[in-house]
Amino acid sequence: MQSKRHLTLGIFLLLASTDLLETLVQFCFKKCALAQAGVVVSTFSQGVAFAGAVLLSPYLWFGLATVFVLFAIWAGVLSRIDLSVAVPVASLSYITIPLVSIIFLHEAVSLLRWIGIAFIIIGVIMVSLSSKEISGAKI
Amino acid sequence: MNFAFLIIVSLIIVTDLFDTISQLILKSSINGLHFPVDSFRKVLSFMLKLALVPRVWLSLLFSSLSLLIWLFVLTKTDLSLAYSLDSMRYVLITFASVAILKERVGAMRLTGIIAVIVGIMLVSHG
Repeated sequence: MQSKRHLTLGIFLLLASTDLLETLVQFCFKKCALAQAGVVVSTFSQGVAFAGAVLLSPYLWFGLATVFVLFAIWAGVLSRIDLSVAVPVASLSYITIPLVSIIFLHEAVSLLRWIGIAFIIIGVIMVSLSSKEISGAKI
Repeated sequence: MNFAFLIIVSLIIVTDLFDTISQLILKSSINGLHFPVDSFRKVLSFMLKLALVPRVWLSLLFSSLSLLIWLFVLTKTDLSLAYSLDSMRYVLITFASVAILKERVGAMRLTGIIAVIVGIMLVSHG
């Protein structure tokens, strides 16, 4: 299996997908919390009603299911590559979030931020390539 | 440098430490399984094997604690400070990968990781 223990395109895409799923989880939990925004919990029965409403929220269960999928992808990826490769490569969200802000929210991005994005891209490429040169720890 | 600032910085260090501990336990458990997931059909049996390793649950506990502390930190401080300090997790993870998991981190990987850290600091502050 030693020959297969480097970062392939498939694993790279899986790592990139964890960033998207992470965003989806945040969105679901936020939606679930917003639905209860005005609720006051001061008595026991109100507490039960609050817990019931949260537990009945489809956003909660969809979010939790996504957390499970995320964990399965992350654990599966870790069965194939080094931790010191997986963690830096998963830092792509630091690029995708500013890019989403630029494209969809039309936010202005400073020169420093563009330089930062360039650094992250170069760093991720270098770490990705390094997984081929050194085939990782002997396990 | 006031007291509240020191608390926030300490909490960010704790959240990164817990995250590193969680990842270390998870990765060492997975290494112990000797079960590379090279097709989607293997995912289910892999997850079942993993769930039977007791310390994986400890890993999940550390991960949850790390997330809780992180969410608390985010309510108390501005994002640029939180995110740029949070890049220290890459230092901790790299150190732990070499020292404990015996991964070999060469010049290329090390330079790449440093570039990612510098990049995150610039993105967070710019």
